[in-house]
Amino acid sequence: MPEAQTSDNQPLLQVDDLKVHFPFSRGSFLNPERGFIRAVDGLSFDIAEGETLALVGESGCGKSTTARAIINLVKPTSGTVRLNGDDITGLDDKSMMQHRRVVQMVFQDPIASLNPRMTVGDIIGEPLKIHGLAKGKDRKLEVLRLMDLVGLNPRFLNRYPHEFSGGQRQRIGIARALAVNPKLILCDEPVSALDVSIQAQIVNLLRDLQQQLGLSYLFIAHDLSVVRQIANRVGVMYLGRLVELGDSESVYENPTHPYTEALLSAVPVPDPELAASRDRIRLRGEVPSPDKQYPGCSFADRCPLVEDQCRSERPEHKSIADEHTIACWVRQ
Amino acid sequence: MNNTPADRSSEPLLQVQDLQVTFKTDLADVRAVRGVSFDVYPGETVGIVGESGSGKSVTNLALMGLVPKPPGRIDGGQVWYDGQNLLELDDRSMQSIRGHKIAMIFQDPMTALNPLMTVGQQLTEMTRLHLGLSKSAANDQAADMLELVGISNAKKRLRDYPHQFSGGMRQRVMIAMALSCQPDLLIADEPTTALDVTIQAQILELLRELQEKRGTSIIMITHDLGVVAEICDRVLVMYAGQVVEKAEVKELFANPQHPYTKGLLRSLPRFDQVTDSLYAIPGQPPDLGNLPAGCAFRDRCDVSVEQCSQEAPELYSLHDGRLVSCFVAKEEASNA
Ligand SMILES: Nc1ncnc2c1ncn2[C@@H]1O[C@H](COP(=O)(O)OP(=O)(O)OP(=O)(O)O)[C@@H](O)[C@H]1O
Ligand SMILES: Nc1ncnc2c1ncn2[C@@H]1O[C@H](COP(=O)(O)OP(=O)(O)OP(=O)(O)O)[C@@H](O)[C@H]1O
Ligand SMILES: [Mg+2]
Ligand SMILES: [Mg+2]
Repeated sequence: MPEAQTSDNQPLLQVDDLKVHFPFSRGSFLNPERGFIRAVDGLSFDIAEGETLALVGESGCGKSTTARAIINLVKPTSGTVRLNGDDITGLDDKSMMQHRRVVQMVFQDPIASLNPRMTVGDIIGEPLKIHGLAKGKDRKLEVLRLMDLVGLNPRFLNRYPHEFSGGQRQRIGIARALAVNPKLILCDEPVSALDVSIQAQIVNLLRDLQQQLGLSYLFIAHDLSVVRQIANRVGVMYLGRLVELGDSESVYENPTHPYTEALLSAVPVPDPELAASRDRIRLRGEVPSPDKQYPGCSFADRCPLVEDQCRSERPEHKSIADEHTIACWVRQ
Repeated sequence: MNNTPADRSSEPLLQVQDLQVTFKTDLADVRAVRGVSFDVYPGETVGIVGESGSGKSVTNLALMGLVPKPPGRIDGGQVWYDGQNLLELDDRSMQSIRGHKIAMIFQDPMTALNPLMTVGQQLTEMTRLHLGLSKSAANDQAADMLELVGISNAKKRLRDYPHQFSGGMRQRVMIAMALSCQPDLLIADEPTTALDVTIQAQILELLRELQEKRGTSIIMITHDLGVVAEICDRVLVMYAGQVVEKAEVKELFANPQHPYTKGLLRSLPRFDQVTDSLYAIPGQPPDLGNLPAGCAFRDRCDVSVEQCSQEAPELYSLHDGRLVSCFVAKEEASNA
């Protein structure tokens, strides 16, 4: 894994106390019910130049929303996002435009993010066109180079998204994100639709590009083996917040928050004999709901170690090792 | 792993024979599925793994009667279920089987869910139609199903639209939808890609329970070899529109035969350590619109011989009952 090029100056991305609350109103006309889904509820982290931070955590805990808020696809409720020191929080499309060359996103849902009426060549070439980076024959050559880079057969240039398999579509999204030579790529489940060989190819590619160009990644993934291969640091999220953040090695070797422990113990092992015999920590209790407010730790109801304080007071992040913090009353 | 061994002495629930599917495109005819055969027995979980683009989804869409025509075309084969060839059924008969007897969890939830209908409306549509439930009974059942797949506050969330759910929650809505009519055969196409491992474990357990209680058969398409190891009885490995290897799950992992399968297992990332450069199978898969003669894997294969570029190997039966489509593996097995 490439060493992050740590520099003394400011981090490339700084996210400070980010909150995204979605208002909802359900129920009938006469009996309406209004409230907020606290998708992201006070998230802070940095990403240095040349560094990969992975976000992992329960499905629905706010990972995609975090990424979308960073590039202003959803409007943050509060908090700040800084890119190269510039406050980009809540910028409108036009002002965001100049930053789009610096930060790109690979979306979780490839089919929903690809225009069905554009050919693959046009989709990948679009950012080059928008930012005026290449025209005509040059653009086509560049598109072909990008297709080759992500393992798409260049013969597919004039095909439409629906003519591809799930994994092939994911690679179209990756090629498009790479087109403008960004400094930071927000990768939302970039390899989960791919077979392990192509997955390895893409992970190698992302690491190579990082080494050559000093790229940074926010890498969202459920596959903890892949995360291990690519992340310098790992943030574990639970219900809109980070519960553990640290150096990858430290988190994998010493998972300390009870949720992190449960998560790492549940990784399926690719070995049928072992799979049958192995122990994993099972989470009991009701999955908490992001439309409720919890005064204490949001994991309390499912935590095997829960104490009284956990239900009444919210734990803050405390350092438990070098470059490794957790938010937990019991384990701090 | 499955603790209830599937009953393979009885008749198979589903028999797929020599299935062929082609897509007509401007450039060429894309031969997405080229002669795929397999059986699924009652209570059994058959895994399908393989290269991205190798025809896993299209194979299963074909047996559900869901290949878009045009550009798709079924060029041959049979799919036997309950004494009928599904490929010959008219739309109406197929509709009464689909969702009810055979249900599918689609790979891409956003294309399978209707963005304009609430999740509750979509979950109750099928159960009202196939199980004849009343509106309120269907609503109760829908809320129970959502809870079973780990979505909190289920009763209220039935009134939300798909875009208000996270990727993994949509996937679980689809799982709930597929299970709600209690099908005999469940086709799960990458059902857990957007789920964290704790919820994934919960879903796999749910499927296992279902299988124990109702003897449901499952076709599990997945790239996650950990999931295969946990839940499958037998595995098919697909490459370029064909099945290249078939084996019991333990044997596949312990002793892979086809060079593609070997490469795939070698590419698995380690959980316990960082690897400098991950192994990936060299080269690119062939263009299904312009297939070379011979074995489709030979350009990427490190053991290929002269014969591989001249003729295409069949699916050979090795002495221990395994099937592999490779001249070299067959030769080695007969010398062993
Ligand atoms: N509508 C279509 N028109 C043309 N080609 C198509 C169409 N649908 C699928 N294909 C092609 O058929 C092949 C098989 O696709 P399929 O979706 O079955 O792959 P898969 O094995 O499920 O892959 P993945 O693991 O990426 O989901 C692919 O090469 C794809 O490009
Ligand atoms: N547009 C929206 N309107 C209302 N609620 C939303 C919206 N988008 C997301 N949510 C809710 O916000 C929460 C977080 O969703 P998000 O997509 O960020 O989760 P995630 O961590 O990416 O999950 P997954 O791993 O399943 O993709 C979920 O409860 C989801 O239902
Ligand atoms: Mg997401
Ligand atoms: Mg597929």
